[in-house]
Amino acid sequence: MGQTHIIRSNTFRWALAVAGVFAVFVIVLFGFIYWQADQYLIARSDKMIASQLNAIAGLPNERRLEWINEHLEQDSRGVQYAGLFGADGRKIAGNLERFPPELTMNDSVQSVSVERTLPAGRETHVIRAIARHMPNGDALVIGREVDETREISHVVAQALALGLLPALCLCLLAGAWLSMRAQRRVEEVNQRVQRIIAGDLRERLPHRDVDEPFSKLTVIVNGMLDEMETMIHALAGVGNDIAHDLRTPLTRARLALERGRTNATTLEQLETVVDKAIANIDQSLAIITALLRLAEIENSQRSAAFGTVSLHEILQEVCDIYEPIAENKSIDLRVEARQRLSVLGDRDLLFEAVANLVDNAIKFTPEGGRVDIELTRGDNETIVRVSDTGGGISKQEREAVLRRFYRSDKIRSTPGVGLGLNLVAAIVKLHGFRLAIHPGPGGRMEIICPDH
Amino acid sequence: MIPRNPGSSTGRGANALTAGENELMTRVLLIEDDSETAEEITAELADRGFEVEWSASGIEGLDKARSSRPDAMIVDRLLPGMDGLTVIEALRKDQVRTPVLVLSALGAVDDRVRGLRMGGDDYLTKPFALVELVARIEALLRRPVESRETTLRVGSLELDLIERTAKRGERAIDLLPREFRLLEYMMQRSDQLLTRAMLLEEVWNYKFVPATNLVDVHMGRLRHKVDGPGESPMIHNVRGAGFILRTGP
Repeated sequence: MGQTHIIRSNTFRWALAVAGVFAVFVIVLFGFIYWQADQYLIARSDKMIASQLNAIAGLPNERRLEWINEHLEQDSRGVQYAGLFGADGRKIAGNLERFPPELTMNDSVQSVSVERTLPAGRETHVIRAIARHMPNGDALVIGREVDETREISHVVAQALALGLLPALCLCLLAGAWLSMRAQRRVEEVNQRVQRIIAGDLRERLPHRDVDEPFSKLTVIVNGMLDEMETMIHALAGVGNDIAHDLRTPLTRARLALERGRTNATTLEQLETVVDKAIANIDQSLAIITALLRLAEIENSQRSAAFGTVSLHEILQEVCDIYEPIAENKSIDLRVEARQRLSVLGDRDLLFEAVANLVDNAIKFTPEGGRVDIELTRGDNETIVRVSDTGGGISKQEREAVLRRFYRSDKIRSTPGVGLGLNLVAAIVKLHGFRLAIHPGPGGRMEIICPDH
Repeated sequence: MIPRNPGSSTGRGANALTAGENELMTRVLLIEDDSETAEEITAELADRGFEVEWSASGIEGLDKARSSRPDAMIVDRLLPGMDGLTVIEALRKDQVRTPVLVLSALGAVDDRVRGLRMGGDDYLTKPFALVELVARIEALLRRPVESRETTLRVGSLELDLIERTAKRGERAIDLLPREFRLLEYMMQRSDQLLTRAMLLEEVWNYKFVPATNLVDVHMGRLRHKVDGPGESPMIHNVRGAGFILRTGP
């Protein structure tokens, strides 16, 4: 089973393919070398016999015979051919029995087959030959057998056998090894991942040296696992807090109903009890609604629908809506927006964020106080500032707010800061803005929108 | 004071409407798969003088809507078999213009729902108060008629939409723009219960519920201006529910 796995593995297939391509490439290369060498040798031998023919043709008749005999005697390898034939085709000298019939006398080197007499008998050979009429009417043939070609092909084949086969084997071995190694690591990762899936959040993937791509990947995945572990723990904490927050009004409702059922004697009394219970249940529902809304904002991908939002208009509208409420508390609510500034964002959400800040500010400013909404420019940023003359947020509270930010709900139990601030934080984060909470005296919150 | 009996302030709206139409009760088709919720809604609407027909599935509901032609529909968004919005889309394709109130456990108001609102239908997120549901159904049934009238009149109250002025009898009322908008909305829907959520959505275009009782404060100011000393009050606060503009007690 292990072997078929290796053969089927991607790495091994790649190794096979590479080996195949390599082999084809080597064979083509050797073939080319062979062909080139062959061409070169033939050309050289052709030149040689042509110059020999010229040399003999230039000699007087009697010297020719002498030269031919000498020439053939010196040829120890038996590759030289020469023949002198009379005008009637009779052999005068040389080692050719007859004039080769295919040979034309046009002073060009050609391939012809000739018969050669050897002590063992007659043999047919293919040689390169050239022929010419001598001034006295004789025909002179000079030839050479290019047998080096055969030797070269032999050498090439040997080289191929010696070089290519081991190389191919090496390729296959390397492929098998690599694929086995990859398989082993994948199997190892798989086992760890299975453990993580089973719930062991502390498990991490193995990694060896950091420069290797596979290890780099495991380092990245491990980083992600770290982040997820932290988030899951944080989420569990949030879950506990929500449960606690919901239990308070629900307990009150339950107590009211229980007592009302036993004690109420008139319809009015019962109605009071029911109203109380409904109010408490409404509060639980309000918490759930706010949490769902938080989740909705956090998960939304609204940035696609972002448009240009003129902040000064939003500020004016928020002021318009909250003015009567401020007036009821004798709070001086003012907007100061000298410049018309715009940002890229979701109008409704930004309106909600500013309204929440103003709502908070009015709620926690004592009567006769003052709430200012300002729109200004900082260094490459647009700032919406809501400041009031209330108690502000103490240093510890501010740290709690900033540290656990919106995933947290500790804020909810901190007096003076409701879930509204979590919503503001979520909206601000969605836009890529920042929320700055300045320490007291007096509350001062800023939504800082950097220019893009 | 909470209006729960037939013939009380909010119930009257529906009765008055049906009286004009062949003396028949207003028929509402409810498509809701949770039988307990359906039972409560049915009982409440019956108390208010509506005739309620109930379907537990989208397909059955669609059939009933096609055959019995109700005056209004309440449709749960998540239904077995056929999604509530699909039911409505199917009806609209058949040119059935019955006003629909969609109920949903989903808080997110997506594009499909936005389309609903544009079409004059309404949307209510679960959990909801029964008064809210009834108020919205009545609002759907009594959608203000498109009128070329440039002056709105309720009793002695007059609103000039061109001049942007208001007066009660001979007394001129000085209104801020936002107060004018609020009064205009209320006069178009006089004798109807308007809940805080409805006012927030329609008058202030608020998409969320603010922490402070914004509506009450604004309404308090408007009432102070509309109902002068010695005059019989026209803006009535219905405890736990909302507000009504009407002549008489």
